[in-house]
Amino acid sequence: MSVQLFVCLAVIFGLAAIGTPIGFAILVGSLAYLAVAGQDIALAGEQILAGLYESFVLLAVPLFIVAANIMNAGTISERLLRFCVAAVGRFRGGLGHVNVVASLIFSGMSGSAVADAAGIGKIIIEMMTRSGHYTRGYAAAITAASATIGPIIPPSIPMVLYALVSNQSIGYLFLGGIVPGLLMGIVLMGMNTVISHRRGFLLEDPVPLRELPRQTLNAFPALLMPAILLYGIYGGVTTPTEAAAVAAAYALVLAALFYRALSFGALYRILVESARSSAAVGLVIGGALILNYVVASENIPAMLARALVGIDVSPLVFLLGVNVLILLLGCVLDATTIILVILPLFIPTAGELGIDLVHFGVVAVVNSMIGLITPPYGILLFVINAVSRIPLVEIIREIWSFLAVLIFALLLLILFPGLVLFLPRMFGYPG
Amino acid sequence: MESLRNWLSRGAEGVAAALLAALFLTFLLQIFSRYVMVQPFGWTLELSLVLWVWVVFFGNAFVVREGDHVTFDILYLAVPGRVRQVFALISAASIAVALALSILPTWDWIDFLKIKRSATLGVPMRTVYSIYALFLVAIVIRYAWVFVDVLRRGPPDEAHRVAHEAHDAADRPEELR
Repeated sequence: MSVQLFVCLAVIFGLAAIGTPIGFAILVGSLAYLAVAGQDIALAGEQILAGLYESFVLLAVPLFIVAANIMNAGTISERLLRFCVAAVGRFRGGLGHVNVVASLIFSGMSGSAVADAAGIGKIIIEMMTRSGHYTRGYAAAITAASATIGPIIPPSIPMVLYALVSNQSIGYLFLGGIVPGLLMGIVLMGMNTVISHRRGFLLEDPVPLRELPRQTLNAFPALLMPAILLYGIYGGVTTPTEAAAVAAAYALVLAALFYRALSFGALYRILVESARSSAAVGLVIGGALILNYVVASENIPAMLARALVGIDVSPLVFLLGVNVLILLLGCVLDATTIILVILPLFIPTAGELGIDLVHFGVVAVVNSMIGLITPPYGILLFVINAVSRIPLVEIIREIWSFLAVLIFALLLLILFPGLVLFLPRMFGYPG
Repeated sequence: MESLRNWLSRGAEGVAAALLAALFLTFLLQIFSRYVMVQPFGWTLELSLVLWVWVVFFGNAFVVREGDHVTFDILYLAVPGRVRQVFALISAASIAVALALSILPTWDWIDFLKIKRSATLGVPMRTVYSIYALFLVAIVIRYAWVFVDVLRRGPPDEAHRVAHEAHDAADRPEELR
């Protein structure tokens, strides 16, 4: 390891550990790298600016954030939830199932787990605790667990980020997420059923079946959105990036004109808050761009690839190893950081070992989403704690069983690449 | 003084919202031009990329609050207040000093780009990238101020925790409606 690389890593980890925003820690570390290496310090800005300016796919990030915020503010999430209650609320553990199904549908419209938890999640937690059939911790835990599906089923911000660092097609990555997302939904509902029976959760008053058509009609325009997005992307009408704009536009039309639930002032607040989160994410992306420059000029991925291929690791062992690492890192790092900073180190090796990079990417994204609910650092736990005021301790106590089934689903995805690659192949993916 | 700051931050929010709205509209125009008019405007793509760069750096310079940043705060929150103060001081000082040192070399490079114009809009790249210089200056000033503030008044107690909540408030329906 060169001196400059050592200094760079020491600064980044040192600063990040004491609470410096990750984006700034990377920026400062890279400046230190350039200074010690005797290179032009301006390279940092050059890499960040050129990287942001040339990466058309990244434009999807702010637009998906806008779309999700509009859906939450414009009662779209709420209507969706009422439809789910009418449809699956009648079974034992009903609101738990509603929770998962709502997340599945919502994830077809939004690309962010945090948006899912803060929007739909907040409302369903209130419903679950008000019914008196569930403990606060259980309501919060299943909400957090089901929110992880959000970025697996397309559209998805993390998949866009992976596409950026791996040069894989966003279209195939999105398709690859559909079956894994459904699988995650199934295992969560399974666990909910088991727990509901074991603890004898009471049944909810079922919504009369004759109500169902009205609720469906009410939610129908919102339910159309996943279909519109998928048709847009795979019918060749829009690029995945443009689909983000379509999603935002459609949500805006629904909320403002159709449901009449969005005032001009509210729209303004949405834009301000979306600009705020987009910029914050943009800074980490910028940091990742310059860090990738450092990593590339030090030739790290190639060295890693040589070393690992040299000691003759089997692809499966490698895949399992990387996933254990991501899982552990997920306990302390943010998903954005993992995807943009850690994954690029392993992508060349994965390619070298003959692992399909769409499979690798989808598995890694699923894994880093699981990282969003692993204590002690799980952003979804914090978000739910913040919006619902349910103490972290109670949420964490209930999260383990859901965590276990999600990891089980992850293992299936690792062992059976077909689960991920089946749909992309149907649409012509050569891998 | 307080009202001036308030007024400025309102103004900055307005600009950020306008940039994002413009980005959104440019995109819609692009789709419209391609499918309805069949003749895509070339400039929409470039304009949206420029707007994206501006959203990121204008946003981080003037609109993103300390708590909105992606941060690893487990250790920070676990240590006693005195250590926290030292942590906060080191953070602020490193950012302010490192970024300050990078301003001149970076500006040299950006200034050099006045000879290069963007592909379809023909805007000098210096103009497009100048927001990054503004970002550097604003961040240096901000963290220099944070340094002095932490030195005088101790660490921002619950800054990180509150941050999460502020972050989420963004998505909280009832506050938006």
